[in-house]
Amino acid sequence: MSLFSLGLVRAIVGQVIGTLTGMVTVILFRVLLGLPAWAAEPAWTLGAVFGIIGALWGVGIFNDWAKWMKGEETPMRHGPPEGQPAWTRYFGVDYNHKVIGIQYTVWGIFLLLVGGTIALIFRTELAEAGRQFLSLELYNNFIGMHGFIMIFAILLGVGGMANYLVPLMLGAEDMAFPRLNALGFWFNVPGSILLLSSLFVGGWDSGWTAYPPLSARGPIGYQLFFLGVFAVGLSSIVGSLNLLVTIIRMRPKGMSLFKMPIFCWAVFATSMIQLTATQLIGLCFLMVSTQRALGMGFFDPGLAGSTLMTGLGDPILFQHLFWFYSHPAVYIFILPGLGIISELLPVFSRKPLFGYKWIALSSLAIALVGFIVWGHHMFTSGYGEVLRYAFMYSTLLVAVPTGVKFFSWLGTLWGGKLSFETPMLFVLGAISVFLIGGLSGPILGTVPSDLPLHDTYFVVGHFHATMFGGFVFPFFAALYFWFPKVTGRMYNETLGKIHFALMTPAFWVQTLGQMGVGVMGMRRRVADYDPTLGGGTIEAWHLAITIAGFLIGFGVLLMIWNFFQSAEVGVLAGDNPWRSRSPEWQIPSPIPEHSFATPMMVKGEPYDYGLPEPYVVFASAATAGDD
Amino acid sequence: MQNNTRHFSIIGVLVVIFTFVVYWVLDAVLQFPIQGSTQAVAIDSMIQGHLWIIAFLFSLVTVFMVYSLFLFRRREGDDEEGQYFHGHTGLEIAWTVLPMIVVIAFGYWATVMLADITKRQDNEIVINAEGFQWGWNFSLPNSDQISQELILPVDMPIRMDMTSKDVLHNFWVPEFRVKQDIVPGRTTHLRFTPTVEGDYTLICSELCGLNHTGMIAKVRVVPQAEFATFWSQEVQTASSK
Repeated sequence: MSLFSLGLVRAIVGQVIGTLTGMVTVILFRVLLGLPAWAAEPAWTLGAVFGIIGALWGVGIFNDWAKWMKGEETPMRHGPPEGQPAWTRYFGVDYNHKVIGIQYTVWGIFLLLVGGTIALIFRTELAEAGRQFLSLELYNNFIGMHGFIMIFAILLGVGGMANYLVPLMLGAEDMAFPRLNALGFWFNVPGSILLLSSLFVGGWDSGWTAYPPLSARGPIGYQLFFLGVFAVGLSSIVGSLNLLVTIIRMRPKGMSLFKMPIFCWAVFATSMIQLTATQLIGLCFLMVSTQRALGMGFFDPGLAGSTLMTGLGDPILFQHLFWFYSHPAVYIFILPGLGIISELLPVFSRKPLFGYKWIALSSLAIALVGFIVWGHHMFTSGYGEVLRYAFMYSTLLVAVPTGVKFFSWLGTLWGGKLSFETPMLFVLGAISVFLIGGLSGPILGTVPSDLPLHDTYFVVGHFHATMFGGFVFPFFAALYFWFPKVTGRMYNETLGKIHFALMTPAFWVQTLGQMGVGVMGMRRRVADYDPTLGGGTIEAWHLAITIAGFLIGFGVLLMIWNFFQSAEVGVLAGDNPWRSRSPEWQIPSPIPEHSFATPMMVKGEPYDYGLPEPYVVFASAATAGDD
Repeated sequence: MQNNTRHFSIIGVLVVIFTFVVYWVLDAVLQFPIQGSTQAVAIDSMIQGHLWIIAFLFSLVTVFMVYSLFLFRRREGDDEEGQYFHGHTGLEIAWTVLPMIVVIAFGYWATVMLADITKRQDNEIVINAEGFQWGWNFSLPNSDQISQELILPVDMPIRMDMTSKDVLHNFWVPEFRVKQDIVPGRTTHLRFTPTVEGDYTLICSELCGLNHTGMIAKVRVVPQAEFATFWSQEVQTASSK
C-alpha cells in the first residue's frame, strides 16, 4: 500500500500543487502587465483559491462527476477500496454516511484539541498579571485562532452527529445525495489547513470577528483565513441542503414530522439557518478580501493616508453583514446539542419526552427569531439609535423558546426512573452549564445593563457557557452514548465518570470566574490586566480559571484515551445496551455496511417508554405480525 | 397526585430559600467598580433587577432538577419504566406566556432608562476625543489645546464627540459604566455625568491591533473651577454655541 493511496495525503499534495499554480498564474499575469513579478498578497490569495480546488481534485471527489460528464456510469461503491485495509476508507472519499459521519467527528475532535491547546497557551499567559512569555502579536493571533478553530470544530462535530444519526433515525439507506455529502466533508480539509497555515504568513490579529479597518490592513494571513472560512462555509451549505432534503424526502412510511426522533427536528432547524445565513459571512469576508487585494473600498472610510481614498465605505456595514451570519451561527452550534439533550433524557428517565411538539417547535422558533437579533452585538457600535431599542426587544424574545426547553426537560425528569451512566451525567452537566449561559443572556440583552458588560470577560464567560452547555457537553454525551453503536464495544464507565467529575466543576469555575473578572472591569482580548482590579483579587480569579482550563483539557484527553482503549478491549455491548426505542438501536452493533436489511415502518411514538408497542418495526417482523 | 402536591410544596419552599441565597452570593461575589456617574446608579439598579431574576430562575431549575435526581433515581434491580405522561398543554402555555411578560417588562424598563441616560442636557459640556493606535487626544471645541489626559468637571453633564484616526476603538471608564465605539469616518457620541472626584482609567475595549492592551489614558474628575483653569479659557457649553 503506497502513501498516495490515502486520499488525505493526495488532498494535501493537491493543495500544495494548487497553491503553487495559483502563485505562478499571478506571477505570469504581472510579468505580462510589466509589473514587478512578485506581489505577496495577490499571489497568496489566488494560491489559496487554487489550493482549495487542488485539494478536492487530489482527493478525487470530482472523479464520479467527471465520468458522468463523459456519459459514463459510476456504480455506488460500498465497503473499503479494493485491495486496501478497511481503515483506509476513513482517509479517502467514501460515500457511506456512517463513514462520513466518523470523518466529520474525528476531524472535529482533532481541531477541538488544536483550539484547546492554543487556549491553554494564552490562559497560561493570563494566569499571572504582567506579560510573561507571549508576544502581543502572537497573543492577538491566538485569540482569533482559538475562536475560529473552535467554530470549525463545532461545525464539524455538528456535521458528524447529523450525518451519522439522521439517516439511521429515519431508517434510510443513506443521505439523499451521498456524493455531495462527501464533498461537504472534504471542503473542511483544505479549509482547516488554510486557517492553520495562516499563522505562518503573518497571521491575523483582529480576533475572530475580523472587523475592518483593522482586518483590511493586517498581514497576508487574513487572506488565508478568509478563504479557509469560505471553504468551510461551502461545506455548511451543501451539508445542510443534503440534510434538509433527507429529512423532508426520506422519512419511512408512517413517520410524520411530529413522529421523528427529536434530534431530527434540531438538525432541521439548524440546517435551515446554515443553508440561508452562511452566505453572509462568505460575502463580508470576500468583501474585505477584495478590498485588500483589488482596492474595492467597501469598508474604507477614506482616511488620510488611505491608498483607496474612496471615502464611501463604512466599517459598520461589515458588522451588520458579519453578525447576520454569526449570530444565527451560535444557534447552528447549540440547536443540535439541545436536540441531543432532548433525545437522551427520555432514554435515561425511562419515560416519554415531556411536551414533544413544544420542544420541536421551540427549535424552529429559536432558528427564526435568531435571524432578527444580530444587532445586539452592535449595541455600542454607533449605529442608529432606534436600532438599539428594536434589537433589544427581539433579543429578549429568544429567552422564551429557550425557557420552554428547560421546563420541558424538567418535566421529562419528573416521575422517571433515572439512572446515571456517563451520557446521562453529561446531559445533566449540559443542562446546568447551559442554564448559566442562558441566564447570563438577558442582562446583556437590555441595553443599559449591557453597556458596562459589553466587550468584557463577562461576555466571554456567557459565550463559553452557551457553547459548552449547548455543544461541548451534549457532544460528549453523544460520543459516549453512541460509542457502543459505532464500535460494538462499551467504553470504560469509570473513566467516563472521572472525565465528567473533572470537567463539570472545572467548567463552572472557569465560566463564573470569567464573568466575575469581567464585572471587575477586565476587557476581552487583552494580553495583560491591571492586578489591582476587584480589590486586588483578580489575579487569584485568573489563576483559578487557568487551572480549570487545564482540568478540562485533561478530562478530554482521558475521554480520547478511553475511546481508543475501549474500541480494542471494551466488553461487547450488544445491540441495544440502553434499551432505547430509537431505530438505530434495533439493528446490529457495529452497524453493517447496509444499515437496514429490510424496510422500516413506524408503528408507535418515538419516546413511549412504558408502552409495549415499539416505535418502529422492520418489514419481516411486520409481516409476521400480520399473520 | 397527592404525593406530587407535597413534593411541589417542598420544592417551592426550597426555591424561595435558594433564591435569596443565590442572590446574596451573586451580590457578594460580583465586584463592580464604584459608581462614578449618574448613569452608573441607574444602570446598577437594572443589574440588581436582573440578578434577582437570575437568582430565582437558577434556583427554580436547579432545585427542581436536583430534587428529581434524588427522588426518582432508579433503585438497584428496578427495571420498570417511569410514569407514563406526555406533557401538559396548560403548563407549556404558562411557561411560554409568563417569561414573555417578564422579558417585555424588562424591555420596557430598559427603554425608559436608555432614553433617560442618553438624553440631551442643555448645559452639557462637549469634549472632543480622538482615538488612534494607541492613544488618545482630547480637546475642547474651538480650541487648539490638546491633552493626553482627560480632565472632567464633577457633576456636569458631559458629551463626548469622538472619532478615530485609523481603526475602531472604544471609550470606556468602568466606573462610569457606559461605553461607546469610536469609528473612523464618523463621529459617535457618549453622554455621562461624573459624580465622584478622583482618578480613573480610560480603556479602549474594542480590539485595535498590536498594543490594544496598552491603549489607556488617565482620567481625572476635578472641581468645576479646576476644569476651567486646566483648559485656560471659557468653558464652551452646547447651549452657548
